[in-house]
Amino acid sequence: MRKVLLVLLFLTAMLSAQEKPGESRFLLRGYAHSGIEVRGDETTFVGGSFNPIFLWRQSDKLLFEAELEVEYENGETVIGLEYANMSYIINDYATLRLGKFLLPFGTFASKLHPAWINRLSSKPLGFGHDGVGPARDLGVELRGGVPLGDAKMTYSVYMINGPALNDGTNPNVEPEEAGMLLYDRGEDNNNNKAIGGRVSFLPLSNSSMEIGFSGLYGKVGNVESKYEDLAALLYAVDFSYVSRVSFLSGVVDIKAQLNGVNVDDASYFNVEDSSNYSFANQSSAYYVQMSYRPVNMGSDFINSLEFVGRYSELSFPDGALWSSDQTQYAFGINYWLDWRTVVKLSYQFADTGVHEAEGEAGEASNDAVFLHWAFGF
Amino acid sequence: MKVKHIKLFLISVSLFFGALFLASCSPSQAQASKPGALLWGENCVRCHNAPSPSAFSDSQWEVVGKHMRVRASLTADEVDKIVEFLKMAN
Repeated sequence: MRKVLLVLLFLTAMLSAQEKPGESRFLLRGYAHSGIEVRGDETTFVGGSFNPIFLWRQSDKLLFEAELEVEYENGETVIGLEYANMSYIINDYATLRLGKFLLPFGTFASKLHPAWINRLSSKPLGFGHDGVGPARDLGVELRGGVPLGDAKMTYSVYMINGPALNDGTNPNVEPEEAGMLLYDRGEDNNNNKAIGGRVSFLPLSNSSMEIGFSGLYGKVGNVESKYEDLAALLYAVDFSYVSRVSFLSGVVDIKAQLNGVNVDDASYFNVEDSSNYSFANQSSAYYVQMSYRPVNMGSDFINSLEFVGRYSELSFPDGALWSSDQTQYAFGINYWLDWRTVVKLSYQFADTGVHEAEGEAGEASNDAVFLHWAFGF
Repeated sequence: MKVKHIKLFLISVSLFFGALFLASCSPSQAQASKPGALLWGENCVRCHNAPSPSAFSDSQWEVVGKHMRVRASLTADEVDKIVEFLKMAN
């Protein structure tokens, strides 16, 4: 840990030292958050994480960006690489990106997840780690924005290592979750690269509305296994509308996203009764969120408030050992200290209906209260 | 091998028509004449609150502009105008 921090400090100093007076090519940005959570009888301080983002403008056409995630979990400091990539600006409407990048699979993982941007302290069901759909991967991407008269569109096409199938044969990777896709695995588990993309349309002249469609396809089975030819099709639809509403004297922000994962049918080993079993391997998750910030009420205090509500659902395949249907409601009040510093108070309750393969159904409530602060820098 | 060839063919055709499509796109007169302040107000809030011009120095805004051009898929014209506005208001 100490070594990593020393390397980071050294890199920062080296990059800063290369700058000419009055010219800044290097920029350290990022965000951090922490808070206190109440779940049932447990009350605990959580978080203590920060994500430094390193930006280096090599030239007018070249940009390097990297983000680390430094978290304090279970008494240990954990460091992860969120992304590290180089962008080459080809022309006004096209940029080539190489390396590890946030995938434009919908918008939550690629744009909305940072703690100072996410309006609630938690993520929607299925949009966090081990969720439905990928967040980042290694590969190459062509992306850009294009004007269409009064409207606009954005596009992205990419080729990545792609998700890998947990086929249940590796005892170190939760064999009871056979059939689930694993994301952000580093090296490719087969010679097949996954191909994906996103197209979004901003039909209104003020860019207040955006509708996006994402897709990703590739083989997911491990090479030289009986699952080698197994493929998966992943898709996402996202919606965003942000606008000032005069009769509400404020800004209304609506966000929604649906993720779906379809994996080819296959037979897996059941670790519970040593049989083979199969199921229709389809998972989905979606959320709808609405927030309102009364920015034109006249009082600084009221102008800094924000009210937010979110509903999300997660569905893992019926018949799988990891089958589950969950719903979650979350409500919150935020107070913005400035444009990038926020204190978030929220309450959420969830039904985590865990269905066993035998058909038994269990219901568990998962109520929680969060008081978090977050800031971008 | 067949599937690979079909994939390559589809990618090539998509890139060809995509390039033709991109070359034919252009903003309307009203869009092209939008000032940086308006573009700043319209585009930043799609994800986060609009940043204060004083948050960064002029040269830092250049770096931020590049970063957001890639992240938010903004066009060169949009980024240039927004960065120019932020530097002027700084």
